[in-house]
Amino acid sequence: MAHLLSQNVWLIPCYALIGATLALPWSPGLVRRTGPRPAGYINVLLSVMALVHSLGALLDVWGQSAITESFVWLDAAGLTITLDLEASSLTLGACVVIASLNLLAQLYAIAYLEMDWGWARFYSLMGLFEAGLCFLVLCNSLFFSYVILEILTLGTYLIVGFWYNQSLVVTGARDAFLTKRVGDLVLLMGVVALLPIAGTWNFTDLAEWAATANLNPTVATLLACALIAGPIAKCAQFPLHLWLDEAMEGPYPATILRNTLVVSTGAWVLIKIMPVIALSPFATQAMILTGAATAVGASAISIAQIDVKRVLSYLTSGYLGLVFIAIGVGASHAALMMLFVFVLGMALLVMGTGSIVLNNITQNLTQMGGLWVRRPVTGLCVAIGGLSILALPPLGGFWAIVPLADRLWQSEPSLLAVVLLTNTAIGISVARLFGLMFGGVVTDWTRRSPEGLWLLVLPTTGLAGIVLHVPVLFAAWEILPQMNTLAPSIGAIVTWSSLLGLAIGSVFYLAPTAQPPVTLVPQPLRDFLAYDFYTPQLYKLLVVGPVNQLSRFISWLDRYIIDGVVNFVGVAAVFSGESLKYNTSGRSQFYVLSIVLSIAVFVVIMGLPALRLISAGL
Amino acid sequence: MLTALILIPLLGAIAIGLIPDPPAAPSRAKPIALITAAIALIESIYLATQYDVNNAGLQFVEAQTWITPIGLNYHLGLDGLSFPLVLLNTLLTVIAIYSTSDRIDRPKLYYALLLITSAGVAGAFLAQNLLLFILCFELELIPVYLLIAIWGGEKRGYAGTKFLLYTALSGILILASFLVVAWIGGDFISFDYADISTAHLDLQTQLIALTLLLVGLGIKIPLVPLHTWSPDAYVESSPPIAILLGGVLAKMGTYGLIRFGLELFPETWTLVAPGLAVIGAISVMYGSLAAIAQRDIKRMVAYSSIGHMGYILVAIAAGTELSVLGGIAQMVAHGLILALLFNLVGLVEEKTGTRDLDALNGLLNPIRGLPLVSTLLITAGMASAGIPGMVGFAAEFLVFQGSFSVFPIQTLICILSSGLTAVYFVILLNRTCFGKLDNSLAYYDRVTLPERLPAIILVAIVVIFGLQPNWLVRWMEPTSARFVAALPANEMAIPAIGQGLSPEFTPPIASLPQPLTAPSLAHRD
Repeated sequence: MAHLLSQNVWLIPCYALIGATLALPWSPGLVRRTGPRPAGYINVLLSVMALVHSLGALLDVWGQSAITESFVWLDAAGLTITLDLEASSLTLGACVVIASLNLLAQLYAIAYLEMDWGWARFYSLMGLFEAGLCFLVLCNSLFFSYVILEILTLGTYLIVGFWYNQSLVVTGARDAFLTKRVGDLVLLMGVVALLPIAGTWNFTDLAEWAATANLNPTVATLLACALIAGPIAKCAQFPLHLWLDEAMEGPYPATILRNTLVVSTGAWVLIKIMPVIALSPFATQAMILTGAATAVGASAISIAQIDVKRVLSYLTSGYLGLVFIAIGVGASHAALMMLFVFVLGMALLVMGTGSIVLNNITQNLTQMGGLWVRRPVTGLCVAIGGLSILALPPLGGFWAIVPLADRLWQSEPSLLAVVLLTNTAIGISVARLFGLMFGGVVTDWTRRSPEGLWLLVLPTTGLAGIVLHVPVLFAAWEILPQMNTLAPSIGAIVTWSSLLGLAIGSVFYLAPTAQPPVTLVPQPLRDFLAYDFYTPQLYKLLVVGPVNQLSRFISWLDRYIIDGVVNFVGVAAVFSGESLKYNTSGRSQFYVLSIVLSIAVFVVIMGLPALRLISAGL
Repeated sequence: MLTALILIPLLGAIAIGLIPDPPAAPSRAKPIALITAAIALIESIYLATQYDVNNAGLQFVEAQTWITPIGLNYHLGLDGLSFPLVLLNTLLTVIAIYSTSDRIDRPKLYYALLLITSAGVAGAFLAQNLLLFILCFELELIPVYLLIAIWGGEKRGYAGTKFLLYTALSGILILASFLVVAWIGGDFISFDYADISTAHLDLQTQLIALTLLLVGLGIKIPLVPLHTWSPDAYVESSPPIAILLGGVLAKMGTYGLIRFGLELFPETWTLVAPGLAVIGAISVMYGSLAAIAQRDIKRMVAYSSIGHMGYILVAIAAGTELSVLGGIAQMVAHGLILALLFNLVGLVEEKTGTRDLDALNGLLNPIRGLPLVSTLLITAGMASAGIPGMVGFAAEFLVFQGSFSVFPIQTLICILSSGLTAVYFVILLNRTCFGKLDNSLAYYDRVTLPERLPAIILVAIVVIFGLQPNWLVRWMEPTSARFVAALPANEMAIPAIGQGLSPEFTPPIASLPQPLTAPSLAHRD
C-alpha cells in the first residue's frame, strides 16, 4: 500500500488541484442554497488527503534512494520536454510540510474569513498554491520549475487582489504581479538560453553537465545572472523586494503561505540550479552580495515599520537574504535547514499576530500594547515563533545557522559579520514586535481582546508545538551539527548576537522608558528605513516612468506620424463622408503618400541586413 | 471534399439571399447562416479524423484545369500548415455568426457577406495555385469592407476605406510578385505551387519579387509600420467581424510568409531574414508599448494583436524547425485568444455601454457586475500574456526556443515585450474587473448562458491545448519540418537535442573569443 503511494507521487499535487476545481461551483451566483462554506470544507478534506498520501509515501521512501518518474509533455521538432518527477525523502518531506501548513492555513481561514463571501475564490486559490508548491518540489526540471513559478505569480496576483474593491489592494496586486513577472521573464530568458548549451533541463543532468562544462566566461555569467533573477524576485530580494510588502494587502490566512512557502520556492529552485550558477564566479558573488544587502537592509527596515504585516514581510526578505548567502557559499544543506526553521517559525508569527489583528481591528503596532494579560496563549506563540527564527539555543534556528556560521568563520569572516548583524537586527525587530503588542500599556484598541475562535487558536498552538520540537526532529533525522567538529566558541558568538538583539529590543520596547525610543534615531534615517529606502519612488523613476513615457511616445507617433499624414490635415472627416470616392478627393494623395512612406521604411529596415550580407559577398 | 468547404458557405449565402423572410417575424438569415457554418465546421472536423498526421505532403488533393492559358488551375490541397488554419476559420465563423446580435440591421446582407468572407478565407488556405490564392484573397476584400463600413462603429466609413485601400494594395503587390516569379525567364507551365520555382531567377529579380511579396503580406499581417489600417478596422468593426479580421484574416499574411516566402524563395529568404526578424521584434515592442497607452479596451486588444503577430514573423524569419512549428502554433493560439478577447470585450461593451478604461470599474462584483465575463476576461488576458497552462505560452515558448539560437537579441526583445503584454493586461484587468463598482450606475443586463457560450468554449480550447500542446503541434510538425528542410541555410538551425552538436557549429551567441565546447550529450538518449 505504502509502496503504491510512493509510486504515484504525481497524485499529491492533484488532490489540491481537484479541491480547487471543486470549490468553483460555490462562486457567487452558482450554488445558492448552501452558502460558500462547503468550498472550504472540501479543500480542507483534500488537503488532509494530500497530507496522508505524502506522509505514507515519505515513510515508504525513507532512507531509500529516490524514485524518478518521467512523462513526455511535448515532443516536437527535435525538442522533447519531459516532466521529470523525483520522489525522495527530501522532496516528499517538503510535500508533507506544504500540505500540513496549507491545512493549518485553511483551518485558520475558516475562522479568519468567517464573514467573507469569497470563500470559493479563496480556497481554490489556496488549493492552486498547494498544488503548485507540491508540484515544484517534486519536479526535477528547470522548465517546469519556471512554469510553476509563473503560474504562482498569477496566483499571487489573484490572491493579493482578493478584496478587489479597495484601490490599495488593486495597486498592490498589480505591483506584486509585475515585479514577480520581471524576475520570471529574465528566468525564462535563462531557461531558453540554457537548452542549446546544456542540452537538458533536468536538474540532475544539469549538475552532471556543469561539473565538466567548459563555458565561455561571458556566456556563463549572462546565463547565471538570468537564472538568479527569478529566485531574486520570488524571494523578495533587493531590488525586487517591494512586491512582498505590497502583497500584504491580501488576506491574512494567505500570508501564512506566502510569507513562508511561496517565497521559499525561489530558494528551492536556486539550490537546484546552483551547479550551473557556480560556473560563473561573478554571478555567485553577485548572488551573495544581493543576499547580504537584503539581509542587512530588509531586517533594518523591518525595525522601522509600524504595520505588523510589513514588519513580518521585511523580516522574511531579510531572513531569505541569509539563505541566499548560505546557498551562495555552497552550504545548501544549511540553507535547507534554515528554510525549514524559517517556514515554521514565520508561519507561527503570522498566525499569532493575525489572531491579534482580527480582534483588535488594527494592524498598526503603535496602537497596540498591553495584550500579554489578555492574550497570554497568543503571546506565547508569537514569542516562540520569533525566537525560533533567531539563532538561540535550544530552538531550531540555532542549529540551522551554526553550520553556516562555522563555514563562514573559516572562509569569509566578513560574511559572518553580515550574518551576525542580521541576526541581531532580527532579534531587535522580534523583540520590538513583541514589546509593542504585548508589553507596554493598554490602549483603546486593545482594551477588549478575547482569545479567538478555537479554529484560530488550535492551529496556532499546534504549530507552536511543532516549532518547539524542531531540534528534536533534527536530532531524529541525524542532521544536528556535531558541536565538537565546529570551530570553538562559534556557538557562543552566534548566541550572543541573538541575545544582544533581544536585549536592545527589550530595553526600548518592553521595559518602560522615559524617552520614546524612536527619537533616538535621526529623522532622515528613520524615514529612509520606514519608507523602504524610497524603493517605490525609485521604481517610479527608473522603470515605471520610462515605460510610461515610451508608450505615450509610441502612441503619439502612431497617431500623428505613421497614421498621421491624413489625420493631421483633417481628411479623416472627409473620408468618413465620402467612403468609396477616395480617389476623387484631391487630398487622398496624402493618404497614398503615407502608405508609400511606410512601405519605404519597411523595405529599408528589411533590406539593410540583406544589403550587408550581399556586400559581404554572401 | 475540400471544394465543399468553400462551396457550403457560398451556398449558404445564396440561400440566405433567395429565401424570403416571413413578414413580421425574426429573419431566418441567422439560423440559416449558423447551420451552414456548423456544417462547414463538422465537415472540417470530419476531415480531421481522415487526416494522416504523419504525411508531410498534400492531402485530399483536388485538381482541375480551369483557364490553362493564364495558368489558373482549380487545385486544392491540405497540409499541416493550412489544415489548422482551415479549422480555425470554420470554428471562428461559427462563433462570429453565433455571437452576432439578433437585433442587427439588414440581417440577410450581413450574414451573406460573412459567409462569403469565410468561403474566401477557406479558399485562400486551400488553394494550391497562386492565381487561385489571389482570387480568394480578393474575394474576401469587398465583403469585409462592407461589413466594416455598414455595421461598424462611429468612424466606420473611415476605417472601412482605410482597410480597403491598404488591403487592395496588398493584393496588388502580392500579385505583382507572383507575376514576376512566373513570367520572367524559365518555362511557364501554370501558377500551381508545384510548377513554380524561383531557382532560375537571378538574385536581384528574386529580391525584387520577394520584397513585393513581403510588403504585400506585411500589410495584411499587419507589421509595423504598415499596420495603421488594423487598429481602426478592429476597433470600428463589430465584435464578430473583429473576431474574423484579427483571428483569421490576418493569418493569411503569415500563412503567405511560410507558403510563399519560405517555399518559393528559400535562397533569398536567408538574406532578408535578419531584417524581417528586426521588423518582427519592432512590431512586438511597438504593439505592446502602444497598447499600454490606450484608454479604449478594444483598441488595447487591437494593438496587442499587432504585437503578437510579430512573434510569428520572428519565428518564420529564424527558419528553424522548432521556430516555424512555433510560428504555426502561434497563429492558431493567437487566433483563438484574440477571438476570445474580442468576444469578451464586445460583451462588456454591450452590457455596460462603454469601452473606456476610465469609466469601467469593478465588473467582478458578484451581484451587480459581470462576474463570469470578468473571470473569463482575466483568463483570456493571462493567456495572451503568456502565462503557462494556456496555449499562448506553449506556442510562444516554441517560438522563443526555436528562434533564440538564430536571432538571440530579437528573441530576447520578444521575451521582454511579453512582459509588457502583462503590463497592459494588468492595467486592463485592474480597471475593468477589479475596483469598486459604482452602484448607482450599475444596472447592467444579465449575461445569459447563450451569450457566454462562445467564450466558455474558446477558454476550454485554450486551456486544453495549453495543458497538452502535443495535441496541437502534432498536426503541424511534419509539414513545418518539410518547409525548413527546403531552406538551404539549414546549418544555421540548431541541431536537435540528442543528436549532438557538430564541431563547426557556432551559435550566434557564441560569436565571442572562444568557441563553445559542446558538452557530452551522448549519454542522454
